[in-house]
Amino acid sequence: MGLSLSALAERKTLWPWLLLAPLTIYLALFFLVPLVEVVIMSVTEPRPGLANYEKVLTGSLYRKVFLNTFGTALLVTLCCLLVGYPLAYLMSTVSKRAAMGILLLITMSFWTSFLVRTYAWMVLLGNNGPVVWLMQTLGIAEPPPLLFTRLSSTLAMVHILAPYMIMNIYTVMQKIDPSLIRSAESMGAYGKSLFRHVYLPLTAPGIANGSVLVFVICLGFYVTPVLLGSPREQMAAGLIGNQIEQFLAFGLGSAMSIVLLVVTLVILGIYHRRFGLDKLYG
Amino acid sequence: MTIKKTHNALIRPNRRLFLQGTAALAGASALAAPSIGRAQSKELYINSWGGPWLEAATENLFDPFTEATGIKVNTVSPVSFAKLAAQVRSGVYEFDVTTLGGGDIVAANNAGLLEPLEEPYPGGLFQNGVGSHAFATMMAWRTDKGWEETPQSWADFWDVERFPGGRSLQRYPARVLPLALLADGVAPEDLYPLDIDRAFAKLDEIKEHVRVWWTGGAQSTQILRDGEVDMIGIWHGRYFEAEDAGAPVAFTWNQAELDSAYWVVAKETPNMEAAKMFVDFATSAEPLAGFVAQANYGAMNPAADEFIPDSAKPRMPTAPGNVEMTFEQDMLNFGADPQEVAMRFDEWLAS
Repeated sequence: MGLSLSALAERKTLWPWLLLAPLTIYLALFFLVPLVEVVIMSVTEPRPGLANYEKVLTGSLYRKVFLNTFGTALLVTLCCLLVGYPLAYLMSTVSKRAAMGILLLITMSFWTSFLVRTYAWMVLLGNNGPVVWLMQTLGIAEPPPLLFTRLSSTLAMVHILAPYMIMNIYTVMQKIDPSLIRSAESMGAYGKSLFRHVYLPLTAPGIANGSVLVFVICLGFYVTPVLLGSPREQMAAGLIGNQIEQFLAFGLGSAMSIVLLVVTLVILGIYHRRFGLDKLYG
Repeated sequence: MTIKKTHNALIRPNRRLFLQGTAALAGASALAAPSIGRAQSKELYINSWGGPWLEAATENLFDPFTEATGIKVNTVSPVSFAKLAAQVRSGVYEFDVTTLGGGDIVAANNAGLLEPLEEPYPGGLFQNGVGSHAFATMMAWRTDKGWEETPQSWADFWDVERFPGGRSLQRYPARVLPLALLADGVAPEDLYPLDIDRAFAKLDEIKEHVRVWWTGGAQSTQILRDGEVDMIGIWHGRYFEAEDAGAPVAFTWNQAELDSAYWVVAKETPNMEAAKMFVDFATSAEPLAGFVAQANYGAMNPAADEFIPDSAKPRMPTAPGNVEMTFEQDMLNFGADPQEVAMRFDEWLAS
């Protein structure tokens, strides 16, 4: 029709960008601009200079909280993996319908508000809750405190984040060609060795994807550790909130946010070099 | 949605200049511009504490104010000291009026966040806030613990031998440090200026027994009501919520710590006139009396006293018979920079 080939090609290359434009503009306006403002605040408040960063990187409180944040994120990721991997495997072996049923159960918790899920753990683990009742019934006269410990906050975070892990691993497991397993078996690989040399490497991308997602989301957790955790094991987001809410220390809070962001980006960067970020959602 | 619109309408000139660089937003603020006049005279945004506070305020302050002036009152939650600072900084106002406690108001006024106000009644002005009501941080406990004695004072709160069980205090050093000194035997009249080191040393003793450093009023009620902790330093209004819910709890006015709440106007808010009118109204005798009687606060405007029914008094920390047992916070004679103390408290908490 009167359209030359080159014009068509040009339209083709332009079109994706046009589709992306609303999102790009949205992110630039509401994410990048505020982020730049946070960076500026971190070096100008209360006075220009790098004092905030010095404080964050050398102060014992901040080091402790950052270490605890990364430690907790690592622990939660490991727990999600331990819980998620067998469940994802189960889903990949049962019928499609049953797998959908399990998936529905897992995603159902996504439909409940974050805060409600956190409070639900308070009820479950509370002094008058079912867990303590069960322990007392089993003859433990003085059950150890469950709430406001590392245990309660970790449990709740694993509960909230496990679906990310399960869905990532399940997607990968589902795509594994069953004939690969059969041929491995025909070569004499059974049990442990089949798992170690064939199945685990095949599912590794799912493990990596799920772990990175869970780890990164966990780094920024705020409400759950504040409401359920032990006062001695604060996480970075809670401390940042406290800096700003209680001390109006916008500069220090900003510097902490930037440090957290940079460390997270470094972790994502390492992951990208190893596995490729593009696989994260593929 | 209304709030969003007001955001745009309330953007200060310098902010607007900046935003005009981005075509999309400039268009939005131009669209909202016609509502500036209306927003200024007919609507007011007030920061709300929610819960029983909001119920009492709506019934006794907000609705009567709208009736008297035609200015609509909208509430914004949660109460945020940081937001007050952020909106003065950015020029985008989410609320025009808020209440601050004695600790925060000194910091806020020093930071230039508060609009200067006039004294509405003798002694009613403090750090550019108008005194509204007094509330107490007091000691409360579960009565189902089988303790042989009844706790009497903060020294008993610290005594985990006679009163074993989990403790909770507010994560707010300006209120907690004086309690530690009382527990250590300092007389209420000798508290201020605070001996900060001594207070921290005393806090060391109770630290491992404090299972929760509560940060929200609702949270404190919940952990007492559900028996998560056995003894707590709690705001009196939040305590009565637990008691009214039927929880096995008790309290004492003895050594309760009186704090005051002040109405303040956010610096340079475009709704200034309506905001100042509201503060005057909310601290005038009759509306204030209705508010404190319903929410169990103590009125700071003495003129309100004659409108307060006797039946409301037993639950008021400032009522005769109660007030003699309490002591008052003295933020102006704190003994150290409260901010530095708060930072030290944070470090202490994590160590």
